[in-house]
Amino acid sequence: MSEEVPHPNPDSEAPDHEGAGMPGPGPDERPHPDGRRNEQGIRIDPEAAAEPPVERVTLSALVKNDPGVLARVSGLFSRRQFNIESLTVGPIEDGEHSRITVVVEEHAPGVEQIKKQLRKLVPVVSVCELEPEAMERELALIKVDGEAPDRIGAVAEMYGGKTVDASRETVTVEVTGSQQKVEGAIATFEQFGVREICRTGAAALERGSLTTEQE
Amino acid sequence: MSERATPRDPANRAEPADEGADAPTDQEPIEVTSGATAVVRALEDAGATAAFGVQGGAIMPVYDALYDSSIKHVMMAHEQGAAHAADAYGVVAGEPGVCLATSGPGATNLVTGIADANMDSDAVLALTGQVPSDMVGSDAFQETDTIGITTPITKHNYFASSPDRIGDQVGEAFALSETGRPGPTVVDLPKDVTGAETAREPGPPRVPETSVPQREADADGVRLAARAVERAEKPVCLFGGGVIKGDACEEARSFAREYGIPVVTTMPGIGTFPEDDDLCLEWAGMHGTGYANMAITHTDLLVAVGTRFDDRLTGGVDTFAPEAEVIHVDIDPAEISKNVHADYPLVGDAGLVLEQLSAELDRSPDAREWREQCRAWQEEYPMTYSAPKDEPLKPQFVVEAFDEATAADTIVTTGVGQHQMWASQFWQYTEPRTWVSSHGLGTMGYGLPAAIGARLAADQQGEEDRDVVCFDGDGSFLMTQQGLSVAVREEMDITVAVLNNEYIGMVRQWQDAFFDGRRMAADYNWIPEFDKLAEAFGARGWRVDSYDEVAETVDAALDYDGPSVVDFHVDPEENVYPMVSSGGANGQFALTEDQL
Repeated sequence: MSEEVPHPNPDSEAPDHEGAGMPGPGPDERPHPDGRRNEQGIRIDPEAAAEPPVERVTLSALVKNDPGVLARVSGLFSRRQFNIESLTVGPIEDGEHSRITVVVEEHAPGVEQIKKQLRKLVPVVSVCELEPEAMERELALIKVDGEAPDRIGAVAEMYGGKTVDASRETVTVEVTGSQQKVEGAIATFEQFGVREICRTGAAALERGSLTTEQE
Repeated sequence: MSERATPRDPANRAEPADEGADAPTDQEPIEVTSGATAVVRALEDAGATAAFGVQGGAIMPVYDALYDSSIKHVMMAHEQGAAHAADAYGVVAGEPGVCLATSGPGATNLVTGIADANMDSDAVLALTGQVPSDMVGSDAFQETDTIGITTPITKHNYFASSPDRIGDQVGEAFALSETGRPGPTVVDLPKDVTGAETAREPGPPRVPETSVPQREADADGVRLAARAVERAEKPVCLFGGGVIKGDACEEARSFAREYGIPVVTTMPGIGTFPEDDDLCLEWAGMHGTGYANMAITHTDLLVAVGTRFDDRLTGGVDTFAPEAEVIHVDIDPAEISKNVHADYPLVGDAGLVLEQLSAELDRSPDAREWREQCRAWQEEYPMTYSAPKDEPLKPQFVVEAFDEATAADTIVTTGVGQHQMWASQFWQYTEPRTWVSSHGLGTMGYGLPAAIGARLAADQQGEEDRDVVCFDGDGSFLMTQQGLSVAVREEMDITVAVLNNEYIGMVRQWQDAFFDGRRMAADYNWIPEFDKLAEAFGARGWRVDSYDEVAETVDAALDYDGPSVVDFHVDPEENVYPMVSSGGANGQFALTEDQL
């Protein structure tokens, strides 16, 4: 080893090792703890690491009718890679606010993170996670070949739907209900030859006197 | 060194048009006659004293209004520099920094600086010009969707659509940027709106009611956290940048000292706790000290305050503080359990919550053995480097030389890369707001414009004697060196120390470690002579190649009352250690390349 330059900081001494790097026990010579965290940063039993299950959750956000508010909300979902199943927006009774209903598929820590990130947006007044028994409705317009109008009408009736348009070639039916019911209806109408479908996302409110502002 | 005429020589200098701008307090507020004057009036009312920017078509009405204002405007050479300067100004001054740019390229050039402020939670207000309202959406000359572009990188942004509301929006944007968890805000200002007549004076700056932060933590949560502190055997305080932003350094220091808890900081948290204190283990993470990373790895209780558990701090989350309960104090609820699960979430203001926690604590944790263990790690993993005199100059030596030659209140700014790590490792920080760097975004080129902003903030606080030292890499300096023209024109006393290894050094280090030494696009092969470049700008320049020249050149550069650049040609093969590989375990930090 050649002559060492005295360090200007008197507390720091030149190391007594050769070559590049720093002195000290290497990684293999150090004690290492046994503990682990999972992907969500939660301490786990390494023997029984379980991923939290993904749930289907409906969130209801009350937002100010500011320009661009929908872009802010939808941009947040894509930016942070939150899995979104549907998003519905419409004005509420006061004319100054809108309600955005979002159905997401995430594990519980992910749902918490979505709620917190939504609340950080300035035009967002409140965000709540709806109870599993909340009222939730989707709407679908299903346009099918019109060759069997009677049978189409019967199926529509079975699903509590109604015919909203009929021409020589097509019949269009409106079905409203839970996601499962709408999907069931679509599957049934396929026998008539589905030409086009348009579906909304979910509109949802809590049951009884509970409101979406209370959580 | 030749003595050259520079703008610093009175004979060679144009009279500044804004002679009165240095005396901001005794000037009348600007009269509101237009949207633009309302903008400036709102800035004045909010307490803004400085702004950094670049002129251009769509922002001209606002600049015209600034002509009559007491706000000190610094004309920058590039909008990115304006945003960084405003950011650093805000960090040093403890108030939002303001930057301005025109529409289109002006706004897009700001974007890097805005994103940088967003990642580091720095309060910055950016005002951008926009094409006239009726041309928005028509792809007009110098039109960009500034709101669309900046939405993901701001706390919030505003499109001004009415001259009567524009002042309120600017005031709100200013207030919002510094409220709760700080961050950047943007107000986009169409030229017809700033040009339109109005006499409406803006109201007082108001934070939107949906953004008022929770200040005190839930009392039950505090009680539970206090019990966790009392029973801990291996506690660590982890202080992040939020402690500085919340002006809670005093509370943080008393907390750790009163309960005898070793302190680790994050990189943005440098300065929260004095590094010469026995309890301080300095900062943890990818290039943090071995002892900080050992403490973080083996602790049984992390008292984390104002940190977002960035991946450069945690390494792989699976191995981060794997046996620790976590108390997480943060004013942003969304940071709680985002990356690392908080066993004791305490949402609130850092200082207030620490006081709440203190009030609830009946005794100190029994951590004597743990403190001894931490001290033993300090002995075991000293932050040293080998500096044989027959080898090229070591960059760490240059950092230590500047630290020796300057006072404790010296402000250090940096670019991003190896030099940044050495500047944070080998300088002993004892005060908050003296370490000004780009952490989360990792923006090469941050250092010089940040030094400009920091210099102005110190000067405006009457601290003209404080030194501002910018450690830069050759690569970082190349990215924003045009800022030297600003520093010379504004007669700013800053010293730039380029730790020049003629490489994008951190990339070169990674290529050697992880890409079989294939040094693709990391070697500059040829690099300008930065001392001569400095002289061409009208600054002073030196070149240093050997240990013998370091001390006297450092003194000369610091003594020079103006911008100076010292081009230190350092060992091109020097690497930064310790190093935790990306996504690796903090406790597995490498001390040499073969350990990676």
